[in-house]
Amino acid sequence: MSSFGGFLYARSRTVPRTLAALAGTVGFAVWAAERMDTYLDTDQRAPIVALSPLLAAAVIGVSLHTPSDELDRTAVRPWWPRRLTQLLALTALAAALLPLAVLGDATTFGPPAMIRNTLGCVGVTAAASVVLGARLSWLPPFCYVGSVVLASSGVRGPAVTVWAWPMQPGPQPGAWLAAGAAFVAGTALYAVRGARPEGPRT
Amino acid sequence: MTTASHPSRSLPAEPVGIRVTGLRVRHRRTVALDSVDLDFGPGVHGLLGPNGAGKTSLIRVLATVAEPSGGRVEILGHDAGDQRRRGEVRRRMGYLPQEFGYYPGFTVREFVAYVAWLKEMPAAVTPNAVERAVARVGLADRIDAKVRTLSGGMVRRVGIAQAIVNDPRVLLFDEPTAGLDPEQRVEFRELLRELGASSTVIVSTHLVEDVAAACTEVTLVEGGRVAYRGTPDSLAALGDATDCVGDNPIERGYTAALRAHRARPRQAAALGEAAR
Repeated sequence: MSSFGGFLYARSRTVPRTLAALAGTVGFAVWAAERMDTYLDTDQRAPIVALSPLLAAAVIGVSLHTPSDELDRTAVRPWWPRRLTQLLALTALAAALLPLAVLGDATTFGPPAMIRNTLGCVGVTAAASVVLGARLSWLPPFCYVGSVVLASSGVRGPAVTVWAWPMQPGPQPGAWLAAGAAFVAGTALYAVRGARPEGPRT
Repeated sequence: MTTASHPSRSLPAEPVGIRVTGLRVRHRRTVALDSVDLDFGPGVHGLLGPNGAGKTSLIRVLATVAEPSGGRVEILGHDAGDQRRRGEVRRRMGYLPQEFGYYPGFTVREFVAYVAWLKEMPAAVTPNAVERAVARVGLADRIDAKVRTLSGGMVRRVGIAQAIVNDPRVLLFDEPTAGLDPEQRVEFRELLRELGASSTVIVSTHLVEDVAAACTEVTLVEGGRVAYRGTPDSLAALGDATDCVGDNPIERGYTAALRAHRARPRQAAALGEAAR
């Protein structure tokens, strides 16, 4: 029954629905990449690499919501291992599937950039779920990545690879550092604190 | 099985109930509870008080879902502030929150089984325990219905079922009878008396009739402090002795105790201010 309990836990966090939504996101990314004829010009993959991880992170972020925080708090075991498992498993899945949309050239908006952006977006979303609550956790990363997409073109300078990490084409260390730090910090914060309580008692 | 029916302080054998000392709870700037000392042994304890008196704050701290800002809470002999002992306490505790959301798509059986899993009940005994708990609240015929299709009173009873599924030694009910119809309330009081025979049960309520009918002890909270402690009979006697408003003795007692408490604490408040 403990496996049944684990199954109920997964359902309480709408994991089945989340998996379906992630599959839909990957399908959309693959479809968009094909439509945009990105195999002719890999630079055109930039919007896909910037936006599809954002959608996947939003799906994951919303799944961090618990409808009954008050009852969940009475659990005998500490929550962080379960939270960490859920977040890491969903992130790993998204990071494994999304690169399928941008196979090929790894240096210009290829699989490494996709994985980096997935980690970064999940990190920002997880942190937002702690501060704002899971249901609105997609909002801060949407604002951030949206602004970066609009603002970063044509900007030069050493700091740009750090703050504009979602728009870096490939192996820039600054971008990896920023996205990695966001992922580690966001994941740790969520695992320890959990999403901000919402619903009946707020 | 031996039941410790008297909370004997001299015997350390099986600590029962709850002991609260110097409890203080703050929500941002307001003080919800202030230096509260309470003891609860086996039996049914009614927790009365006006809205905002601190009843829910007290229950949430006792349920270990909220952190007190000061004082000590001891439950079944364990310090509830100690993270490592908290699991042991929660395993043997049942808690019905004032409001609880439910997980989407869950049936009554799944909902109660999920809470049993949270309480780390052995997998082998869980299915039977779930069915028994659901039957005790009179929902056996709806056990496979989705929680979202049930009426408000039925959802309340699902909440009671999840609280009792692990045969807890300590039970905390926050407004359990809200939304129950008169017949269901009578049945719930019967269940309370049954549970109180072996466990420490604390029931927060606005319905003084429930307290008169089912509780062995009454605690009246007002303004974050304990205003009165006694039995339903002593509270009713207090009401008879005064000319306070109320349609029955215990309601009059409730009003009398509240007024007496409100008249008293001017000095206490002044002292508190001086201490700050």
